[in-house]
Amino acid sequence: MTMAAVELNCVTKSFGDVQVIKGVSLAIRKGEFVSLLGPSGCGKTTLLRMIAGLEKVTTGSIIIGGTNSTRLPPERRDIAMVFQSYALLPHLTVRENVMFPLRMRRLGRKDEQQRRVDEVLEMVQLGHLANRRPRELSGGQQQRVAVARAVVSRPQVLLLDEPLSNLDARLRESMQEELIQLHRQTGLTTVFVTHDQEEALSLSDRVVLLNEGRIEQEGAPTDLYSAPATPFSASFMGSSNLLDVQIEAAKGAPCATLAPGSALPLEPGCAAAGPATITFRQEDVQLLPADAEEGILATVETRLFLGSRIRYVITAGAHRFRCLASPGHSFAAGQAIRVRIPPGRIRVIGRTLA
Amino acid sequence: MVEAVPTGVRAAAVIFMLLVLAFVLGPLVVVAGVSFTAGDYVTFPPEGLSLRWYRAVLSADVYTHSAITSLRLAALVTLAATVIGTGVAVALHRRRIPGTGFLSALVLSPLVLPTIVFALGLLMLWSSVVGRTSFYSLWLGHTVIAVPYVIRTTLAVLATSDPFLEEAARTMGAGPWRTLFHVTLPQCLPGIAAGGFFAFNISFDEAILSLFLRSPDIMTLPIQIYTQLEFSPDPSIAAASALMIALTIFLIVAIDRLLGIQRVAA
Repeated sequence: MTMAAVELNCVTKSFGDVQVIKGVSLAIRKGEFVSLLGPSGCGKTTLLRMIAGLEKVTTGSIIIGGTNSTRLPPERRDIAMVFQSYALLPHLTVRENVMFPLRMRRLGRKDEQQRRVDEVLEMVQLGHLANRRPRELSGGQQQRVAVARAVVSRPQVLLLDEPLSNLDARLRESMQEELIQLHRQTGLTTVFVTHDQEEALSLSDRVVLLNEGRIEQEGAPTDLYSAPATPFSASFMGSSNLLDVQIEAAKGAPCATLAPGSALPLEPGCAAAGPATITFRQEDVQLLPADAEEGILATVETRLFLGSRIRYVITAGAHRFRCLASPGHSFAAGQAIRVRIPPGRIRVIGRTLA
Repeated sequence: MVEAVPTGVRAAAVIFMLLVLAFVLGPLVVVAGVSFTAGDYVTFPPEGLSLRWYRAVLSADVYTHSAITSLRLAALVTLAATVIGTGVAVALHRRRIPGTGFLSALVLSPLVLPTIVFALGLLMLWSSVVGRTSFYSLWLGHTVIAVPYVIRTTLAVLATSDPFLEEAARTMGAGPWRTLFHVTLPQCLPGIAAGGFFAFNISFDEAILSLFLRSPDIMTLPIQIYTQLEFSPDPSIAAASALMIALTIFLIVAIDRLLGIQRVAA
């Protein structure tokens, strides 16, 4: 049986009368890369800081590497953390910064510490800057020092608090690749906080979507992306379309009625008849000419050329939704078209309580 | 940008700057000039050049003894003020204790309180609680007015430092004390040094407090200079003052070389 590297049991956190974490339970496997994803104020950073020991746990428990760490101060937890501001010690050189956790935790003899620092600096390609001070480095280099300093002590869990948010877009992409590489090399259990769903999807083994202090949905990136379980998940996982419709079970196969005479076929047995919310991704919407044999009648409201794709806003009856199409065929704004969505791509995510 | 300023305004600015320079540097130039005089009277410009008044100052017991007293006092005040001031600044910066605003107003109040009021009050308090004034009452009085400067300079440095450094240190295995010594205090160092410099200078040339709180057998350099000026004015007071200025300049240069005082001057 493999023990979880980090285990949260019904963790709650209150600031005064306000409960910001409302009972979160989560087991993170050894070596797993987990993202805590959610909008600002969802509690993801608070949760990370609770794992680090920087915030007190109100109720519940946190087990790190088999040790109940709920009441332990940060310095006695087997963790390392990369801060959004990097928090490099300005009066120390790069080498001294990376050495700091080894010195404070008294890990190994002096020469072993030296060797490990050199190793890690080489890993993040900063060996040649070891004697510089943090303020002499670029943002990307500072970020690498912060990461090196966090992995050097080989902690039970590596905590990353939006470490890429201060970098420009291009640097962010290459740092994402480096983080994946680093995770593969070190095999460290990693908890990564971000509000960027793309970042979470591309980096993680598992994404934990938080909303108002609760876990909204968790799962592999592909699951969260293609099978959002709630309207919040659907909308947060990136411009999914959400429509309130009437499910009708005509002749065995159910369909979602958008307007009289205009119904999208669904997969057999996916929902009972009645009012419900359906969701589908904008890239799954297929646009056909108005004279096509299949699909429901609709109108192009707006057309946005994005370079590699074209985004359409489509109206069908009282409903509006978005479509991301490749530029192969093109429709103009105001044009009447037909819309087809593969039944397997439509998810019914709950009955509307009408 | 500079071209956009009208000539009249620029001329006024230049005149204003020259006036400031004249009033700041003028007295120093006069004192230094008088100190090199060969004559017997305090006159400017000096009558001839000589170092006789420096010799007189350095060989006169009244000056050397009072200088040693002042230096000892200033060193002890600097020590006490930096220790207390740094501690208070770190505590105020963290804002964890209730009433931080009130406390900060209280510890900084000597900056605005008239020194003579404070001196009189402390003298009465000391007399009723401890008794006779002594070197220690002087030490206490000077320290109280020096501490706010250390607090201000240290807070200024802390305000610009990364607020997550201490937390980061904790996550790297440093307990609260090791975080203080390995992270917080090294951050504060330029502020502590600048504050210590102010503390030293304030104590070294403080006259009002010293007049109230000294015992008759203790003579500090500023009081010695004042006494000399009052009873038998001769250019030795200028030479003693010039030496005080030289010491101050030496301290500024030394601290700047070591730590970069411009980091806290701004």
